[in-house]
Order: sequence, then C-alpha cells, then structure tokens
Amino acid sequence: MKSLAIQNLSKTYFDPYAGANVTAIHDISLHVKQGEFVSIVGPSGCGKTTLLNMLAGFIPPSGGSIMIDDKPVKGPGADRGVVFQTFALFPWKTVLENVGFGPCMRGLPKSECDNIAREFLSLVGLEHAADRYPNELSGGMQQRVGVVRALANNPDVLLMDEPFASVDAQTRMTLQEELTRIWQERRPTILFITHDVAESVFLADRVVVLSKGRVLEDMPIALERPRAWEHLIEDDTFKALSAQVLHKVRSA
Amino acid sequence: MRLLQHIWSIYLRVTSKFPALRSFVPFIPLLIAWTLVTELAIFPRAFLPGPVDVVNAFGTLTYKGVLTQYLEDSVIRLAVGAAFGIALGIPLGVLVGLSDRVRQAVWPLLLFFQAIGDIAWLPILLVWFGFSLTTMTLVIVYTVLFPIVLNTSLGVRSVSTDLHRAALSLGASKLRVVWEVVLPGALPNIMTGLRNGLGYGWRALIATEIIVGTSGIGFMMFDARRAGSVVEILLGMVVLGTLVCGRQLGTCAHRTRDW
Amino acid sequence: MNRRLHSALMFALPLFGLLFFWELCIRVFHVDERIFPSVEAVFAAGLESVHDGSIFQHIVASLGRVAVGTGLAILVSIPLGVAMGLNPIVSEFLSPLFRFFSVLAGIAWIPIATLWFGYGFGAITFVIFNAVFFVVTYNTLLGVSSIPMPLRHAAASLGAKGWTLLTQVILPGALPNIVTGIRTGLGFAWRGLIAAEMIATNVGLGYMLFLARDFYKTEVIVLGMIVIGLIWLVIDRLVLAPLERATIERWGLVRRA
Repeated sequence: MKSLAIQNLSKTYFDPYAGANVTAIHDISLHVKQGEFVSIVGPSGCGKTTLLNMLAGFIPPSGGSIMIDDKPVKGPGADRGVVFQTFALFPWKTVLENVGFGPCMRGLPKSECDNIAREFLSLVGLEHAADRYPNELSGGMQQRVGVVRALANNPDVLLMDEPFASVDAQTRMTLQEELTRIWQERRPTILFITHDVAESVFLADRVVVLSKGRVLEDMPIALERPRAWEHLIEDDTFKALSAQVLHKVRSA
Repeated sequence: MRLLQHIWSIYLRVTSKFPALRSFVPFIPLLIAWTLVTELAIFPRAFLPGPVDVVNAFGTLTYKGVLTQYLEDSVIRLAVGAAFGIALGIPLGVLVGLSDRVRQAVWPLLLFFQAIGDIAWLPILLVWFGFSLTTMTLVIVYTVLFPIVLNTSLGVRSVSTDLHRAALSLGASKLRVVWEVVLPGALPNIMTGLRNGLGYGWRALIATEIIVGTSGIGFMMFDARRAGSVVEILLGMVVLGTLVCGRQLGTCAHRTRDW
Repeated sequence: MNRRLHSALMFALPLFGLLFFWELCIRVFHVDERIFPSVEAVFAAGLESVHDGSIFQHIVASLGRVAVGTGLAILVSIPLGVAMGLNPIVSEFLSPLFRFFSVLAGIAWIPIATLWFGYGFGAITFVIFNAVFFVVTYNTLLGVSSIPMPLRHAAASLGAKGWTLLTQVILPGALPNIVTGIRTGLGFAWRGLIAAEMIATNVGLGYMLFLARDFYKTEVIVLGMIVIGLIWLVIDRLVLAPLERATIERWGLVRRA
C-alpha cells in the first residue's frame, strides 16, 4: 500500500443545461499516509463525490495533481479500487466471478482468480454464496461483495463512495464494524466518503470536513481500536468528536 | 471541442423548452447526407432520387389531388378497421383478463392465431370476399385485434385484487367494478395495445393495398414501381413514417424517458 | 418435469378443441370445400405436399431467407448499436432517427426492394434485413446507453479495457435489450416475409398461399396458414420468449420494470 498526495486540486466543468462553467472543487490539498483510514464528510454539494471521481480517474482534474507515491495518476486503474454506493456488482456474473474480476483482468488464469476470490469472500463470511447471483443477495451481502471485490485486486488505495448509504441502519453498523476489522487485518489505505457524521468518526483515523469545494477542517480521531458501536455509543470522547465534526459541517 | 459543447448545450436548452424538436432535428443531417448522395450520383438518379425530387412529387400529387385522395382512402380504411378492432378487442381483453377459465381456454388460441399473422389470411379472405374493401378491412381488424386483446388482458390482470374488493365492499355491482375500477386501472396497458395495434395496422394496410390495390398509399407505392418511378415510393415511405410517428409523437420522442 | 408436461397439455388442449369445433362446423353446416376445407382435406393436402417434397421446399426457402436476412442484420446492427450507444450525445441525438425507421420495418420496404433488386431472393432478404436491422440497432443502442454508469466505472477501476470491457461488461449489460430487439425484429421479419413472398417470388410459404388462392385450393391455403402459425409459434414461444425471460430474470432488478 502506498501513500496518496493530493496537491491544489481543482475542478471546473461546463454544465450544458446551464450553459455556463461551474466550479465544484476550488483548492484541495491532502496527504494520506500508507495504511491510514481517512473519512471525508460534508453537506450535499460540497464536492466530495467529485473529489472521489477525480481520485478514481473517472473525471480529469482541471488543476492540481494527484500522486500515488510520487507517481501521477491518470484515468481509472487497478491501483485505485472503488466501492460504490449502488454496489455496482455485475448482475450477469456470479459472486465468485465478480470478486475474481480484477485478477482476471490482470490476465491470471481462471483457477487462480477463483482461489483469490474465495480467499477474500471468506474474509466477510460469504464463501457459501460464491455461486449465487447478486440479485439473490440482500443489500448488506451485496456491499460486502463489493468491498472484497475491490480489495481482491490489491489496490494501492481504496476509495469508498458512501458505500453504506443504501443499506438499513442495523446492517450499516454491522458493515462498519466489519470494515474496521478488515482494515485492521490488512491495513489498506482507505478514503471513505460519507455524509454521516457519526460514521465518519467511528471509522477513521482522521476526519476531513469539506465544504463548497474546500477543506474546512482536518481532524485527527484519537479513539482506541478496535471500535465497537455498543461501547462508543456512550463514549464521551466519541460524542465530543462527533459533535465537533457536526458543528463544523453545519457551519459550512 | 468547446464549440461542440456549446452547440450541444444550446440544443439541450432549446429542446427542453420545445421537446418535439428533439424528434425532428436529427433528420437534418440525414436529409443533408441523402442530398449529397444523390447529387454525387453515387447511385443512378433513377434508383435513388433526392429529397428535392420527393418534395416536388409531393407538391404535384397534392395539387392533382391524387395524394390527398390516397391518403384519405388509407386513413379511412385504417380507422374503420381499427374501430372494429377496438370495439371487439377491448371487451374480449377484459373478459380474458377477468376470468381465469376463459383465459386458459382462449390464450393458446390467441397466441396461435396471432402467430399465423394478418397477411397470411389474405389469400383465404380473397377467396371469400374477392378484391374488395371488406377483405382489406378484415385484415386490419385482425391485425389490430391481437395487440389490443393481449395488452388489455395484461392491464386488467394488473389491477390488484384489493382494488376489486374495495369497490365491492363500497357497494358497487360487478359490472360497475369493471367500469369504474378495472378499465381505468388497465388504461395504460390499453393505450400501449392501441399504439402497437395501430402501428401493426398501418403495416398490414400497406401490404393489403399492394396486393388488393385499387387506391391508397400502399397502392401508390407499388404502382409507382410498375412505372419505375422511385420518387413516389420514397414519398409514400416518408408519408407513412411521418403519419405513424406523428400519431405517436409522444412515444416516438420520449420512449426512453419512460424508464 | 411434470409441470412442463402439464402446461404443454393445457396449451394444446384448446387447439385440439378448435380442431374438433372446426370439423363439427364443416359437417353440421355442410360447408362447401371451396369455401373452407375439412380437417381431413387439409390433412390429406399436408401428406401430399410432404410426399412430393413441395412443403419442404417452401419452408426451406422461407426459413432460409429469414435466416440470411436476420443473420446479416444482426451482424451489422449489434456493432453499430454498441458503437453509437457508448457515446451518450450520439445515442441521444440519433435515437429518433432509428425509431422512425423501425416504424417502416419490413413491409413498407417491399415496393422499393422489388424496384432495386427485382423479384426473388435479393428483394426479400433486403426486406427482412431492414425489418431486423433498425429494430435491433435501436434496441442495442438503448441497451448500451442505459448501462448504469457505476457499472462501467467499476469495470474501469478493476482494470477492464478494450475488448475485455466489451465482451465482459458492455455486451452482457446490453443483452436483455438486444434479445428483446431480436425478438421484435424477427416478428417484423416473419410478417414481412410472408407479405413479400406473396408479391415478389415463386417459392416460399407466402407464395404457396397465394398460388393456391388462384386455384381455389382452400385446403392448401389453410395448410399453409397452419404451417406458418406453427413455425412462428415454435420460434417465438419455445426459443425467443424463454430466452428473453431468462436474460431479464438473470440480469435481475438492474434496470427493468
């Protein structure tokens, strides 16, 4: 896993419906160390999805640079794994084929892809669902598949775009705890976009508050790991930090 | 690239105010390409006349009253056939939709007769009724009938049992339930069936007019062939396409949006 | 397996009922052979045409034209549809054109086909080609352009490019629409075929019907109608509809209602 350096990133695009230029990102600089878990939180329209799309390479930046270990980033690639809010699993492929997709794209033989896929499915306890199709699984299970699909490709950075927004509250808490567990085992570098303040504090080492295309605050989270909802929900430090972040988000 | 973006932006903004434009503007490049192809004489002029020739033919034939007469004939045949088809089809569709027994008995027959297709009935209709208006009308009725029956029954079945029960427990008689609840509930599907039926109906009409032909757009297209005059064939196709699409302008323009 | 047999039986029963009803009507009303043939007359005509091979000639001719026309059309329309569908501006702009031409599918092309290709195989295959081409291109275009962006992004961020992207993501993603397009197109093609064969050729099922009419051989006409109906029923219900249903069901609740 490598470190991610974002320097003076900006994005202006042409809105055909408005017939004018719109600036989504003004100036963002961010440094993410290897193995860090960073949450990006902000109100709607603050530019967090645009930021993630640029990091993933789906849209080109207008200015500034994105570097992974001092190498510039251009276009989408297997070095930046993405987990989507809508899961984006390929409905015509089985769970196993979905998770093994990345390795297969790299040219590994099918048996190897299957093995890697099974190894990662067992991380989230879904080996038994290997031969099912995505639409046979619940939302929570689908997103678990989405997460390990990205991880199975061994990316340098894992970008997560509000991944738990489409599941119910209970499942969300379970998934959050699972994510921290996987992270502790494998230590990927994670950038986690969310609008949920409590979620951002629960998961991350650092919380970055975004507003109107700029960084408002970069807050370290000094909570012990492993983190569990049953403890933290009454923990004073957690509550204080959440309140701080919320205040910052609302003041934007 | 920037210029293209600006042009596209203007296009989007104008067409969101006048959505109908979106169906017409794309034909402009087609017309331009067509004119170019004919001007460059890639195919002999006799084989592929240009848009200008077609417009001229349109003018001449309208002036002579020929086109208007043919158009009238075709439209009337379609309208009469469609009217019968609808009058028969909707009640039948409702019946098939409401009663499971009727459905089991009739559905395979419907599918089979639909599979035979409208045109295949022409020969035997010609034996029975000769080259007459009756033959043509019956083909249209047959063609229009099936989409209407199938879609109506689909629509009827999609009206939930709860709605039936609600109406009954509010004191409606079974007949009134059909009128007040089932028919409105099935209306979207009925409209789809109508649109499909009319679309198929036009095509069947053209074929019938070609074969039985004494007048009408189809006849015009085929007769022109005998005289070797491609212009009228193209004119007929343009008229046909515009009529069918024009009638369904809503669907033609925005079917993608339905999703 | 029992369910399949049961539903096949339930399907066939009304048809047999119809046969029975048909024969009954002929007998009771003493219908003239020249107006409507009896079941046995049709059966006899069927046996005869099997015996002298004529029915097979016609069926092969008809199916051959459909196969060639459809095959060619699909070969051209799917790549074209994919190419257009990948660019949202192009697909949005060109859709009305293809919808317009889909309306003209098949039958409307008969006059111009006979002028350009004369009578025979060429003209009819042209009609069939058109019947299938516009519909399949349009549906492919629709299918490709409605693949959700996250899916395409996911594929890109997992390293899919070029040919693999096409075969592993784009084509499977558009497949439900493509299959629907093929089914609709074949429907137009089959109908256009029969009409064209009545007008423009001397072999084929449509021609068989039309010729029999000249001689008032109603039993051949009815035989032809039944054959046409059965062939389409088999193609559509046993092959195309299950295919369409299977792809849509497999693809799950991604896009379709």
